[in-house]
Amino acid sequence: MTTPQILSDLLALLFDLAVPAAMCTMVLAGLALRSESGINFESGGRFQRWMIWSAIFLTVPQLLSWFAAQGIHMPGQGGGITSAWMNSIDTSFKSFVTDIVLAKLVPVFAAFFVLKAALDAAQGHSPLGSMVTAIFLLAASGTVQLMQGFNSGSQFATTDMLVSLWNFLAGTILPEAAGLAVAGAIIQFARHRPVMPLVFAALAFLSVSSLWKLVQVMVR
Amino acid sequence: MLENGLLHLTNWTANVIMPTIAGLFAAGAIYRFSKAQPYSHLSYAALAALMCSGLLRALEAFASQAGANDPDRYWISVLTLTNWVGNVMLPLYGTLQVVLAVVHYAGLLERMTIGEAWVRNFLSAIMCFSLSGILRLAEFWIANGTAGVK
Repeated sequence: MTTPQILSDLLALLFDLAVPAAMCTMVLAGLALRSESGINFESGGRFQRWMIWSAIFLTVPQLLSWFAAQGIHMPGQGGGITSAWMNSIDTSFKSFVTDIVLAKLVPVFAAFFVLKAALDAAQGHSPLGSMVTAIFLLAASGTVQLMQGFNSGSQFATTDMLVSLWNFLAGTILPEAAGLAVAGAIIQFARHRPVMPLVFAALAFLSVSSLWKLVQVMVR
Repeated sequence: MLENGLLHLTNWTANVIMPTIAGLFAAGAIYRFSKAQPYSHLSYAALAALMCSGLLRALEAFASQAGANDPDRYWISVLTLTNWVGNVMLPLYGTLQVVLAVVHYAGLLERMTIGEAWVRNFLSAIMCFSLSGILRLAEFWIANGTAGVK
């Protein structure tokens, strides 16, 4: 039985909107990051969930190829959208994400977080959470492109992408955070507050891969 | 983009803001010294604020004593930190304590703790007027490492 054209068009539309949807979930992850302190995330929290959704949206075709490998018949993913109405929905949504969300809304959200950083400092809290969130939001589209580069193309592309994301965090982001931890330790010292937790944290940021290896060795 | 943003934030904090507030820490240390209150915390903080990137390099050197995938890397980096504190910082601090012991025994600093406060006030006035010079001297020492000790 051949698939009705409207369903094929709907399928093509959904596949086409996966990357813009990943951009939206990345922005939502950025907003959720601030509600979970900005420099950390809650286990099972909204940031984690939106990030996983971003990874899933970016690897939808590969995820479906896993189902196909299990013997489940999957419809073909080739061919564009033939219906003009569906095409206009596709174009409108992409234009909304690119021209409104990424070009207009995200810079405003980031600016509000920079303003919030100043208010956090005035209140006696660390401004770092809001600053990091502002940077995350401004880098949302770049992060999605980076994650697209992590797509291995295999049936396990979703988990491969999460592994690559972990390696990126452990090897690139956390060593940069070690510098912020050193600056924070000096400011803590000047304010007669505990310093050693930040020093040990800086050393841990520089050794995350080895800590993971240590845990694996402990379990063996 | 994200790594560039965080890298620039770290560089700006450590290389622009921290050296700037080192001056504030030093000014606070001079003020507390003039009031005969504990000031050493602020003076060490001023020095540390000028050495922010150097301290990070030190921690990176401690962490790189073992390979990136070595399970003992964290333990070795903490051990190296402990060795550095015990074999470098403590002897320096001990030398400073010996110098202070001689100075206190000789009674050279009695005027700052016993009797009139005019020596302390005079020294505070000198430091207030020469704070920028003191900061430049500290920056020169830090920039030149051991070659700065002449």
